Amino acid sequence: MLGYALRRLFGLVPVLFVVVALAFVANRLTPGDPVLMMLGTRAGDEALAANLRHQYGLDRPLWQQFVAYVGGVLRGDFGLSYRFVGTPVVEVIKDGLAVSPILAIAALALAIPLGVAVGTFAALRRNSWIDLGLIVVLVAGISVPNFAMAAFLVYLVSLKLGWLPVAGWGTLRHAVLPVLLLAIPPSAYLARLARTYMLEVLQQDYVRTARAKGLRPRLVIYRHALRNTVVPLLTTIGILFGGLLSGTFVVETIFNLPGLGSLAIQAIFARDYPVTLAIVVLFTVFYAGINLAVDLVYGWVDPRIRLGRREA
Amino acid sequence: MPRCPSPPRSTAIVLVLAVLGWLALAGRAEAKLLRLNVVADPATLNPIQNSELVSGDIIDNMYEGFTAIDKDGKIVAALAERWQALDDGKGFRFTLRKGVKFHTGHELTAADVKWTFERVLTPAEKGGLSVTYLGKVVGANEMLDGKSTELAGVKVVDAATVEIRFTEADVLFPMYPLRIIDRQVVKDQGPDWVTKVSAGTGPFQFVHWKRGQAVELSAFKGYWRGAPQIDGVAFLIVPNVDTAISMFEANELDLVDVPEAALRRVLGDARFQGQLIEVPAAQVRYLGLNQGLYPPFKDRRVREAVALVINREAMAKGLYAGAATPLYGSITPGVPGYDPETPKIAYDPERARKLLAEAGFPGGKGLPPIDIQSTAPFKDDLAYFSNQFKKELSWDVRVQVVERASFIKAMNEGQVPFFSWGWTADYPDGGYFLSQMWHSKSRFNRPRYSNPKYDELIDRAMATADNEARYRLYHQAERVLMEDWAMAPLTVRVQVAIRKPGVSNVYLTPFRYRPFAEVRIN
Amino acid sequence: MGDRPGFDVVRRFRRSRNAVLGGTIVSAVVLVALFARFLAPYSVEDTDLLAVWGPPSLAHPLGTDNLGRDTLSRLIVGAQVSLLIALSVLAITLTVGVTFGMLAGYRGGLVDAAVMRVVDVIFAFPELIFAVLLATVLGTGTRTVVAALAVVWWPGIARLTRSLVLSLRTALFIDAAVTSGTPRRTIMLRHLLPNVVAPIITRASIGVGFLVTAEATLSFLGIGVQEPTPSWGGMIRDGLSALRTEPQLALFASLALGITIIGFNLLGDGLRDLLDPRARDR
Repeated sequence: MLGYALRRLFGLVPVLFVVVALAFVANRLTPGDPVLMMLGTRAGDEALAANLRHQYGLDRPLWQQFVAYVGGVLRGDFGLSYRFVGTPVVEVIKDGLAVSPILAIAALALAIPLGVAVGTFAALRRNSWIDLGLIVVLVAGISVPNFAMAAFLVYLVSLKLGWLPVAGWGTLRHAVLPVLLLAIPPSAYLARLARTYMLEVLQQDYVRTARAKGLRPRLVIYRHALRNTVVPLLTTIGILFGGLLSGTFVVETIFNLPGLGSLAIQAIFARDYPVTLAIVVLFTVFYAGINLAVDLVYGWVDPRIRLGRREA
Repeated sequence: MPRCPSPPRSTAIVLVLAVLGWLALAGRAEAKLLRLNVVADPATLNPIQNSELVSGDIIDNMYEGFTAIDKDGKIVAALAERWQALDDGKGFRFTLRKGVKFHTGHELTAADVKWTFERVLTPAEKGGLSVTYLGKVVGANEMLDGKSTELAGVKVVDAATVEIRFTEADVLFPMYPLRIIDRQVVKDQGPDWVTKVSAGTGPFQFVHWKRGQAVELSAFKGYWRGAPQIDGVAFLIVPNVDTAISMFEANELDLVDVPEAALRRVLGDARFQGQLIEVPAAQVRYLGLNQGLYPPFKDRRVREAVALVINREAMAKGLYAGAATPLYGSITPGVPGYDPETPKIAYDPERARKLLAEAGFPGGKGLPPIDIQSTAPFKDDLAYFSNQFKKELSWDVRVQVVERASFIKAMNEGQVPFFSWGWTADYPDGGYFLSQMWHSKSRFNRPRYSNPKYDELIDRAMATADNEARYRLYHQAERVLMEDWAMAPLTVRVQVAIRKPGVSNVYLTPFRYRPFAEVRIN
Repeated sequence: MGDRPGFDVVRRFRRSRNAVLGGTIVSAVVLVALFARFLAPYSVEDTDLLAVWGPPSLAHPLGTDNLGRDTLSRLIVGAQVSLLIALSVLAITLTVGVTFGMLAGYRGGLVDAAVMRVVDVIFAFPELIFAVLLATVLGTGTRTVVAALAVVWWPGIARLTRSLVLSLRTALFIDAAVTSGTPRRTIMLRHLLPNVVAPIITRASIGVGFLVTAEATLSFLGIGVQEPTPSWGGMIRDGLSALRTEPQLALFASLALGITIIGFNLLGDGLRDLLDPRARDR
């Protein structure tokens, strides 16, 4: 197990290195001279330009800048913002750091039990009207993008019924709609998968045996079927998380939440490349981290890996 | 099943006391904060560097100058008790009010005035609008060129008197919103003092700025007009047009500047009827045509054609839900110097096409494609313009939505060939518009328009102390400007704000909100 | 007659609920997109400021938008815009992905390692983030959307092709071809390619739903298709701002987008059940 974990961890390093390198290259590829942009109305001021160039490290050879950038990233320093001249990128995004990961994780934490519960519910009532109706709902949940659903949700819940606030951030009530919206696609996806796996498992011999033995159906389901359904679902969580991270961009825009997603969009329009790239790197690292965690959990759960038997 | 024992009486008493205590604490801890929205992060909170509206709104609550604008839009004395012109007409003597304190605790003296002006003119400080206001002071250019570090034209006569001399007459000088800063703040707080404190004399002082979220100010108890009735002001940064309205409905905002895109919703909603504040803005909205960057604009007929294919009445009705009026010149109603006789511009696409043909672009042929730029809140306006140009003139004009701060920078550098933007007056005199926007020497002449006849009229006006005579010169200059079709005026917008019933003494003037010193919240 | 594989597939297609429903929706959308310019009753750009936010009426069945333009026409042309983008991306990704996947699977060695490392890096990015990255470099607009989505999507195709080729490599008929001295390129084109087509088509049809969603998301955020070109994502964004008083724009555009993607997903599911039942567990 340890060997497996270490191998996965080390495999991550080159990928992350390339990610940072890509971010750096993208920064250099962007059109326009950042110093000129930062000078603004004082465009002809040579002394100020030289000053800024030095402050941002732009007067050093390219490879030195790259090394400095990588070193900085490892220390958590993403350089200085172009838009808020002289302010460290970390300063600009640190408040957003508290928002986006919370949203994504909360949505995931909601989606897993919700998806599994709904999928199981449907499987147990296979081919009934409820099941068919749920399948329709699930397909819609997977297909319809969150901002399209937002229109209906917000209209109904906030505007017509007035239960929840439309925008802003600060209290639990503010988080309900965004997290809900984020959680719908992964829940639907998980529900469909859960239903499929549950159906297969219910046909298995050992379940029928347990039933024949007279054990109560609920006990059978929870003890045998559920456990074997959850494990294969683990692998999809990594993929779902990627979708969740992208989803935060949209949801934060809709509800005006001060998270990394809306900051990134603003930074793109403001040509504040260091901030955009820092957010891209952070999201990617976060995503890689979750994938790694899922892989490790899967490795632990799969007895072949846990017990350290080499794959044939 | 065993019976649950009933809780002892002592527990009940403790609970009640706790609830009461919590209620009391909650009541006491509730600060009276005026919460309003701004559309973006301010570019800066340093009055020296400021040159845009969002920063201005916040800075005005922290800093003051010689004079101020009262709730009726008139000039009144502020930090200067009185002033008089110097004998040759090329200067002023200001007598400062005594006993005025800065947020830092120090007292206002003439030395602070001189220090502030010198900071404005020091190149390293990246001065904004203030540089223009001090442009005619003796020694200003030497400082800007870096040849001097002392402003020769400002003399500290004594602690409460300061004399300022100009190279040419500058009759409006007392009106300029030059914000005075405590000269000792750099010594006390270091060069990045702006990020920590405010050093003004205004009713509120800086607490913190959370980027993307809010700028918070707290009441300055030592304010010379008397401490504010509220505990502070929070400017919440809400870029999304209708989010602010929703926050208002949810009681998360007390006062909302209604952005254009939400006008329909607010004006049409019966619930807001009693909460509206509507005041025309002292703001010129126009299309900037840079003749240097797009050669067809050099021809006056092309410029006139641009102005003729815009239906100002339709814009007012369709884009602003009626909260706007057509504009035909460069001074808005309610601003001294406005000319009600300015000739109207008709909506005449026929004539526009004829003019284009005369200019050598029949049927729009030969006009190179061009982008028209502005910020996100105006994307509908841009879509309308672009479609009008394409439909009526067969002219390929593409919409380009850009970010606010970089856009303002680019415009200030004269780098934007074709744009839609506005200019708001900071003081009650039409000269503000005419000199800042169109004088060839003005840094804020964004389309880089240049007309010597116009410049000459404006220079004369700026030296004319008599109001009526000066306004007549304004009328003349405006005629010259419009006959030359320097730009295409659009509309005057009506500022619409909604205010919670318990909030009073919020003063909205054509020159935007007055500082919130007198606001009460019940 | 009965054992001609074509007939069997058609019969099974008609029996699959998913495929039929999805196919109907998709056909409708494709037809609309194909004949968009003829079907749209009004110009999609011409503004009418005196008729903004009109409710559904006889003249404008779905109402008018924030600039007085006919919503129905814009939705119709929006279909064309979305499908054109999805198609362009598919064309690019299928070409690039299948080529690299085959090279990696068949040649093996360094080529395989190189291609797979690139695939890994791109997979390291959460979906839209890469598109966002490209938007910062290339700017906003339709071209960026196509480029960004193509870069994000081709690794999936490549990886699938590669694993298919790996499993086919040991097949008997390939062995025969190799021993008889057939040049590598011929083997790849004549023998391998036809056998990977079916699963790739399946993956592609499921992918169209994703591509339409991704393009709409980018346009919704403002970094995709730009005004005045109509795009469902952009229309939803415009509509959201008037949701309380004039919800028709947001609701109709959301409906159009939602139904289209549901259609593509159902069709993709149906095709997958038919052509490649094993793929379900992957």
